[in-house]
Amino acid sequence: MSHVSVKNLFLNYPLYQQAPIPDKPQIAHSVDPENSAHNHRNETLIRGGNNAIIGVRALSGISFEVPSGGRLAIMGENGSGKTTLLQVLAGIYAPDSGEVVIDGQTTSVVNINLGMSLEASGHNNITLRGLAAGRSRREIEERRADIAAFSELGEFLDLPVQTYSAGMRMRLNFAIATAFQPDVLILDEWLSAGDAAFRKKATARMQSFVEQAGILILASHSRALMEATCDRALWLDCGQIRAEGKVGEVANAYDEEMIRRQKDRDIRAQAELEAARAHATFVGQVDQAAQSENGRSPSGFYSFFARLSRIFLRAIGRK
Amino acid sequence: MRESELPPKSAVVTIGRHGLSDFFADILQGIGKVDVWFTFAMDDMQQRYRRSALGLLWIMMSYAFFVGGISFFFGAFSQASPDRFIAYVAIGYAMFAFLMAQVQDGCQVFVNATTWIKSVSMPFSIHVLRSIFRAVFTLALNLIVAFSAMLVMGWRPELVAFLCLPGFVIYLINAIAIQYTFGLIAARYRDVAHLTNSITRIMIFVTPVLWVREELTGARAIVADLNPLTHYIEIIRAPLLGDVPRLSSWAIVLAITVLLLAIASVTGAHMRRRLPYWI
Repeated sequence: MSHVSVKNLFLNYPLYQQAPIPDKPQIAHSVDPENSAHNHRNETLIRGGNNAIIGVRALSGISFEVPSGGRLAIMGENGSGKTTLLQVLAGIYAPDSGEVVIDGQTTSVVNINLGMSLEASGHNNITLRGLAAGRSRREIEERRADIAAFSELGEFLDLPVQTYSAGMRMRLNFAIATAFQPDVLILDEWLSAGDAAFRKKATARMQSFVEQAGILILASHSRALMEATCDRALWLDCGQIRAEGKVGEVANAYDEEMIRRQKDRDIRAQAELEAARAHATFVGQVDQAAQSENGRSPSGFYSFFARLSRIFLRAIGRK
Repeated sequence: MRESELPPKSAVVTIGRHGLSDFFADILQGIGKVDVWFTFAMDDMQQRYRRSALGLLWIMMSYAFFVGGISFFFGAFSQASPDRFIAYVAIGYAMFAFLMAQVQDGCQVFVNATTWIKSVSMPFSIHVLRSIFRAVFTLALNLIVAFSAMLVMGWRPELVAFLCLPGFVIYLINAIAIQYTFGLIAARYRDVAHLTNSITRIMIFVTPVLWVREELTGARAIVADLNPLTHYIEIIRAPLLGDVPRLSSWAIVLAITVLLLAIASVTGAHMRRRLPYWI
């Protein structure tokens, strides 16, 4: 019997020289930062000595259990830690602390562009993915016809995967992932690129999968999909579990909160936009003044050097 | 979906522990999955030459051109007979290229496997072995060219040639240690790949491949002897040319191998866990 158990998971996602040090003070906000959900997300950033961003608190104190036959939906805003959590469950990221115990063979489709050799043909990718997932050649050959039929790619399977559209890649990825009947299936946003017919077919296959007491863990933004395939739901908010329960109840609470946050954000975005416009007008006036002084156009050459010297000064200032 | 399927193997995966034992487990598990890295490596080779008419023959042809050209121009600077100099270059350069490939491919080994490391949980050593196997395949083709040329020139193996066999085993052990170490370090510090590229470029001049060590005296002979590559190449090339390699060469090679394994163990135990974040 398959089982997934996660205990007190913590994961800080390190970033390496990807975030520049802010060189200007943040634009003043007209929104109370205490109530702002926008600020909330920034709080997960980890800052180093000189205020540079060195990491993200991606997961903080995550614990949950999925019993055999369980179907868990994971919802949350962009950047709330859904994909990171799925990648930890798939054994790709090692957490900083905490424990993940998965009893059963796991297959994950976290990104439709990953786990494929783009220059190899679809058929070669079936072999490579099967072998990578620990399947024998015999098993792969037994399943090949099924994968080809389910993906409906026909002779495209003889062409390199880089010639496929996003939807075709997703078809192949999903067909491979489900063909070997894993005990635990982990899916992330996989339906976004599928057409309606394939969505229906894939949903039916997922339902037959969970009927065989497999475990499904699905991250999605589609309420309809989550309600159709899952029984329980986990709401991730800034790397923490905000709520856990029946899928409908969690989704109601989640939707309400999202509407509230979006209002805050719209107000805030408007304020920022106005501040930015005011700033641009000011810069424009300065440029015009410079132009009338030098009698030269501020565009092109001038702005290029202005930018270059700004970069240079910033580099010196860092030392 | 068929019902006759055997019940799937149940595997308990516990993530979160790490360290030296995990590193060795990673290597042993990887070596066990011969089918996986072999298939991946063959796929790589096919892709590289997929759209060329001569395909893999290019490896052999370019090696034949290289050995021919070098022997023609550099042979004049050596006191060795033409047939011996051709054998010297043909074997020596094949081994040199293999060793250099371990460092250069090593820097790319995990970066190039990003798509797989970020999507499928499998031992990282699979990617190392896949990369080593590609280099072994190239080495084998180069040696075919070398031996063909040598046979034509009248070379016949002597009994002492068998002494090169333990050398090949040592090469493979070194290859794992080098590629794993460089793979991890270069994934974290991207400058390392550029640094090694700039260093490997001059190695050809300070390694006795295009010139004969025994013919040099003074400072240049000392430089050659200080270069570990000299000894690595000697343990393979000398037996094939009918000489017993110097005992000191074997001692140096074994000492460096132990050192590289130690470095690989430390970096592997320390850095392996965070690899997916770096690529």
